[in-house]
Amino acid sequence: MVGEELVGGPFLDADGMKALGAALAITVTGLASAWAEKEIGTAAIGAMAENEGLFGKGLILTVIPETIVIFGLVVALLINSA
Amino acid sequence: MSRPKEMTRAVIVGHKSILKETIDSLHDTNLFHVEDFVEDESGFKISKPLKNAEEVSKKLVKIRSIANYLGIVKKEPVVQKTDSVLRDLDSKLNELDRAIATKTESIAQLENELKDLDSQKRELLPYLSINLDFDDYRGYESLKVFAGMVKGNLDGSQISSITKAYELYFDPQSKTTVLFVAKSDADKVYELLQGLGFRELRVPERGGVPSELLRFIEQKEAEVTRKIESLRNEIESLKTKYADFILASDEILTIESQKAELPLRIATSANAFIIEGWTPTEDYDKVVSAVNSATNGKAYVTSLEVEEEEEEHVPVEYNNSKIAAPMQQIMDLYSRPKYTELDPSSVILITFPLMYGLILGDIGYALILGAIALAVKKAMKSDAVGALMNILIYCQISTFIFGIIYGEFLGFSLASLHTEHGSVPGLIPGWETIVLFEGLGGEEFTFPIHRTHMVMTMIAVTVLIGLLQLNLGFLLGFANISRHHGMKHAVLEKGSWLVIELGVLLAAIGYLNGTGLAYVGAVILVLGIVMLTMGEGIKGPIELPSLMGNALSYARIIAVGLSSIYIASTVNDIAFEMIWADHSKIGFVAIAAILVFILGHALNTVLSIIAPGLHALRLQYVEFFGKFYEGGGRKYNPFGYIRKYTEE
Repeated sequence: MVGEELVGGPFLDADGMKALGAALAITVTGLASAWAEKEIGTAAIGAMAENEGLFGKGLILTVIPETIVIFGLVVALLINSA
Repeated sequence: MSRPKEMTRAVIVGHKSILKETIDSLHDTNLFHVEDFVEDESGFKISKPLKNAEEVSKKLVKIRSIANYLGIVKKEPVVQKTDSVLRDLDSKLNELDRAIATKTESIAQLENELKDLDSQKRELLPYLSINLDFDDYRGYESLKVFAGMVKGNLDGSQISSITKAYELYFDPQSKTTVLFVAKSDADKVYELLQGLGFRELRVPERGGVPSELLRFIEQKEAEVTRKIESLRNEIESLKTKYADFILASDEILTIESQKAELPLRIATSANAFIIEGWTPTEDYDKVVSAVNSATNGKAYVTSLEVEEEEEEHVPVEYNNSKIAAPMQQIMDLYSRPKYTELDPSSVILITFPLMYGLILGDIGYALILGAIALAVKKAMKSDAVGALMNILIYCQISTFIFGIIYGEFLGFSLASLHTEHGSVPGLIPGWETIVLFEGLGGEEFTFPIHRTHMVMTMIAVTVLIGLLQLNLGFLLGFANISRHHGMKHAVLEKGSWLVIELGVLLAAIGYLNGTGLAYVGAVILVLGIVMLTMGEGIKGPIELPSLMGNALSYARIIAVGLSSIYIASTVNDIAFEMIWADHSKIGFVAIAAILVFILGHALNTVLSIIAPGLHALRLQYVEFFGKFYEGGGRKYNPFGYIRKYTEE
């Protein structure tokens, strides 16, 4: 069978590729979220030091980039369940 | 759906002679939000504080510094009569002040003494091994005494090369050296000593043998420490004795100073004053009658018309039922609604716990967290904590219901699970999974819902739930705008989104079925976009893609939920594998397994507050509120004080 020969040898098989893809989706988006949240979080803490009432706004702004990794997680789930 | 309380703008005018009575009555009712007066051309000026202001604030500073020093914390209130506290205030305050002052002074003195003793001890320690009376070091005419430390070793042979007339004491361990030589040889000996890195030590001035002196100093130290300890205990007992008094008088003085400083916020002329402010319309009569009875009707109270431009700046007081009231915390965290806006507290009373429950959905965690919330609410009597715990309890009720729908308990599946590889029985024997209908991507929609096995379907379902909430947001925005800017604006700004969604829906159905409905949908979609551009300008169409982003964002409901399940079931797997691996004897491994189980689930419980809470909150704040809510209202902050420790 041609297909099996193609993915054999040094290459991963289809399941391995799927797992790798899912892992990449989580890793890269996780790093991206972390990076964005770091920048916003430090600014938010700075603002809160000036005015504690800004906690709510700071919290909201900080969790906004969380969407990136959530999308990554959704993509990983889709890859795995497909 | 509620609106903030209706407010009335009121003005109180009177002669300065009745200012104090007016202020007292307003403070007691605790219903009047005083508007700060800004000096203008009218000739009215800001007044000076009442006469007693300086005295009151002096006492307040004193009592707060004492409270701070004693570390008095707010506690279960013991209610006291204001007059009796006031009567004793001066004498007690002075007494307390004096007692603390003398005690702290003696403590400071004793601590100095302790430091002194310590330095004496330090001086003494090097001589301990020599143990020569300190009086022997002094009072010679022809002898020179070298007392100090050297780096290397010193013995008699080195010195005897210079002179035979010497007496050496050397401790090889501490390198302490005491050397007596004739004055005539002193210079040469000193050179030798310098070569050995000699460093001179001070000889203590008092006489006596070091070991005895040391014992004496240590005794003294113990004595001083004991004294300090007992003084500290006395201060501690002052704290317990005066705590109630301090809390009560702090409260009374705070009230007095609030009253005394009100004139700084109002308008006065030579003989008259004007106080302007807001009160809830329902309480207006109460304010009027309170002021009238306090001043024998000499003050003139009237309500003013509120113009429409001013409405934005009216102070805002929530108007919610007791059940929805805890949600005000969530609103305040974001921003208080404007006076002209709808207050969504009662909407998020449903949607926030709903999202939370959809995410967590586990009977076990619902029971654990619900119990914790109840316990904390019981233990902490604070209002803010109580409200937060109420929110948590609402969320756990919803989590429990979804836990039944998902059939989950601490990550275990309660119902049986049928897969291609066969069927796995659930935790509750006999609870069979029922297939309801076909889901997406070859999945089956079942009851209970096995989230891990119907990811595709659940993503679609959650996005659909998201679309429902977003449209609820559009409807609320529609209601807000139509009330204040008319129907036309509402239709263009918010209605257009509904038209756009309808267009997309029809186009999608038409495209899938291959019918002409696609073209109808496209026309409606274009119409919607045109309406949106008319309503919001170019900014509208730019925001179009965000609708898709917002809807997809709700997929986090299933994503975060799955991550929680995976953590829980991983903990379960590890714990149970450990137990099954070694079932011949129940011992260390079993205990370790139980530990893993408990710690793992404790960790996941903490995560179960943070992750679903934060994401459910975010769905409200970012996705939902973004569709209709502005916020930025001013807090209604009535002039007054809620007494806890005193009563009239």
